Amino acid sequence: MTIAPPLADEVVEELVHVLGTEHVHTSKTARMARARVPAPFPVHRWADYVPDLVVTPVTTDEVAEIVRLANRYRIPLVPRDGGTGLTDGARPERRGIVVDVKRMNQIEEIDLDNRTCTVGVGINMLKLNEVLGVHGLIYPDNPASYPCSLVGGRIGTSGWSLVGARFGHSRDLVLSFDMVLPTGDVITVGDGGGRKVTKSSTGYQLKHLFMGHQGTLGIATRATLKLYPKPEAEFSPFWAFEDFDDAYRTLKHLSQAGIATFAGAVLFDEWKVAYLRRDDEAYIPQPGDVRSLVCAVAYGNEDEVRAGGKRLMRIARDNGARYLGDEISEGDWAARHDRYATPLHGRTRDGQVVPMSWHCEDSAISYTELPAVKDKWHAIAARLRERFDAFDDWGMFFYTSGDTGTDFLTEIDIGIWEQRLDDEMWSAWVEAKRDIAAVAVEHGGSISACHGACREGEVDLVPMELGGGYDVMLKVKRALDPNNIMNPGKYGLDRAYEGEVSAR
Amino acid sequence: MADVPASAGPVPVTPAPDGDGNGHGGPAQTQEFIAEWRNAAYNCFSSGHKFCREVCPVTQVTRNDTWTPTAFHANVVAMEQGELTVEDVAADYVNCTQCGACELRCPNTLFTGDFYRFRTRTVDLVKAVRALAVDSGVHQPAWQRWNQLTDERTHEPVLGDAGVSQEHVRDWADGLHIPVGGQTILFVDCEAAFYRTSVPRAVAQILQHAGVDFGLMQEQWCCGGPAAEMGYVDQARRFAEHNLANWRAVGASRILVLDPHDYISFTEDYPKFFGADFDLEIVLVVELFAELIRDGRLTPSIPVRRSVTYHDPCRLNKRKGIWQEPREVLRAIPGLDFTDVDRVTQWSYCSGAGGGLGIEKPELTAAISDDRMDKAAALGVDTLVSACPWSERPLSVAGGKRDIDVVDIHEILAESLGIEVGGRQGT
Repeated sequence: MTIAPPLADEVVEELVHVLGTEHVHTSKTARMARARVPAPFPVHRWADYVPDLVVTPVTTDEVAEIVRLANRYRIPLVPRDGGTGLTDGARPERRGIVVDVKRMNQIEEIDLDNRTCTVGVGINMLKLNEVLGVHGLIYPDNPASYPCSLVGGRIGTSGWSLVGARFGHSRDLVLSFDMVLPTGDVITVGDGGGRKVTKSSTGYQLKHLFMGHQGTLGIATRATLKLYPKPEAEFSPFWAFEDFDDAYRTLKHLSQAGIATFAGAVLFDEWKVAYLRRDDEAYIPQPGDVRSLVCAVAYGNEDEVRAGGKRLMRIARDNGARYLGDEISEGDWAARHDRYATPLHGRTRDGQVVPMSWHCEDSAISYTELPAVKDKWHAIAARLRERFDAFDDWGMFFYTSGDTGTDFLTEIDIGIWEQRLDDEMWSAWVEAKRDIAAVAVEHGGSISACHGACREGEVDLVPMELGGGYDVMLKVKRALDPNNIMNPGKYGLDRAYEGEVSAR
Repeated sequence: MADVPASAGPVPVTPAPDGDGNGHGGPAQTQEFIAEWRNAAYNCFSSGHKFCREVCPVTQVTRNDTWTPTAFHANVVAMEQGELTVEDVAADYVNCTQCGACELRCPNTLFTGDFYRFRTRTVDLVKAVRALAVDSGVHQPAWQRWNQLTDERTHEPVLGDAGVSQEHVRDWADGLHIPVGGQTILFVDCEAAFYRTSVPRAVAQILQHAGVDFGLMQEQWCCGGPAAEMGYVDQARRFAEHNLANWRAVGASRILVLDPHDYISFTEDYPKFFGADFDLEIVLVVELFAELIRDGRLTPSIPVRRSVTYHDPCRLNKRKGIWQEPREVLRAIPGLDFTDVDRVTQWSYCSGAGGGLGIEKPELTAAISDDRMDKAAALGVDTLVSACPWSERPLSVAGGKRDIDVVDIHEILAESLGIEVGGRQGT
């Protein structure tokens, strides 16, 4: 449907009335800057994703006003936080209004007794931790995008925490938040009703429902977060292996050892090591017989880290691992933690270096399935590269999800030479993503462990993965967002409205 | 999609990009600009990670993604695609102090620079877009007037409508008996020469105290750097040509600089203008003073009872990697209670005064200075020491609200050397 132009003027006037002229952005640059996220983007079709308007509210009331207005006029709304997600959650599919919440970055309260803080969702975790550090505290939610992603995006994504996983992921660390529903009503969701409660058995557990919805169920505005003592010590050993199988076995023993200070481990496969050796200037070269790597991280109180570290070293040694030394371990881990772990360039088949966008496909996979998934994913990447020189296989990482060592964030990094993308290559890429997702589902995993799964290609398989649960998703969406204004076009949720006649 | 109710429609508030911008078939300057910057722009666009955002002083106070280094690069890609023109983008590029923090935080600089022999150069990009805008006849009103007045008066109009002229450029040195000409010339930037005259007076008297011979220019003009920063490159070059000719005329071979902005002009812009012909030695006086202290030729001995922190000027710390020497100077001053904040943390600090921001958007400069002084206030200090005269004006305003003095490093060093500085710390 379309909205008649006279009504559009009215919409702008009303928004200006709520927010002031300064925070209703209509310039081309303002709109184009909010059309994409770091995921591969069809640059030749940029104009398709440019919103009509951008608003930058600063209070929950303002957000609620915007949502009520959009609901009244049936205008698509796209919530946008850091714009650092990798599943296109913040990319407008139907133009409309982007609600950019970065100005909502206030720290409202630091509760030292109950170890919580309450913040606007536009705050970045690194900036928050600069303030918390003064009190000896840390908010440990720690994605690869730690220097730039924002708390609200972590809620909308139900994000993954790397080394922060010792204390859980975003779902565990966000205690409660204010949520503006698609009708403009505001609710507080948490574990039960109390803002600072970590476990409740009262009623339905709604917090999970409102995390990871990729902006399709409303806009979080204000969150209460769980804090921990800032660790005294960190231990981050790297080990080398001559083949993947030894590294894979060691990974299991390390992550299933029940060490309290263990925060996580990462396995690098043969492709990853080869890629780093070939193209990563920050990578400290290893002898040619090193084909796979494992690193682990432990942190916490110094005495406990020392004890846990000794046990980790013993387990690794017993499994034939070669310790790479303190310098490499500390240096490489620091580098890897501080970036998205890629040199941001790749090579054509004949070895020419070209600027490439990095993209990682991520799935949650059980330990026993990792080798099979690895082989199938590399085969998909190889077929893609065979057809088009603009794709490059940058190898795979396997991250522990928690301290159980039973399931893993499994990712394959693929370089894409975006300057060369055209419709044919884009279709091939979408097809490859669909194949990658199909392998994850086929092996009893989940399409995404951390990014979400609403991009072209993989999103087609979400109903297959979730089964009857997907039908419940449709019903929930229809019930909460009667006019389908909230980030429409994501997760195939349009089908919740099939057969209905437009309200206008 | 036909059956989807309610949500699917666009709001035709503003027309969608129509693809007929300057990117394809536009003016020659735009094409030339795109050819020069497209690869650098794609390197950022392909990364898209925005590690630069939270370190950017403008972002910190505006939280506006339109004015981030990421957007500044992406706009070039959009120009190439024919989606944006220089007219569309020019006003956005006002929102940058050219502090260089984003370049330091960029994964492309940090992790691929060695491989490509490439580093992200957002500051140069911003300067290039501003220059393209001016060349294309797209002016920002306050910048246009500022540069017009600078052109008329040979100095920046730092005192508004009054007092800035060739006739008065050496007034700050009254009573100091500094000769004109010589092998070593002290260059004094417009803000210090006319507004905060205590800074050049302190510098000159410290040099005299240490027995360093130096003179002033016969006819000093503005260094031209601010004009270059705002896009008025031809004017900047004319000013540079004048100053170089004036140095040559007195046989100067060494230029002493007290202002970080001049230091950038003389070590980056002038070599670009003149190539190998530019063979003068450029000396930053704070580095010289650190060396003189090390060599025992300056010995600060009078205690200065202040609780201070140091503000790393962006052009020294972020753009030139100069952070040690100012700290050496401060640590040599007895009586100071010095609470240091490390230089990397200070990548995200700024006064907001650079890059012409305060001329077009004084409210943003004030907000950035307020933010900086909040950080100083949290340390419980009574004084913030800077080494950049341009930063000291907005920081002093912000400091006044928090009861924190803003002192120049040369002023405080002079005090510890027993020098009665004189001059003004503003109007």
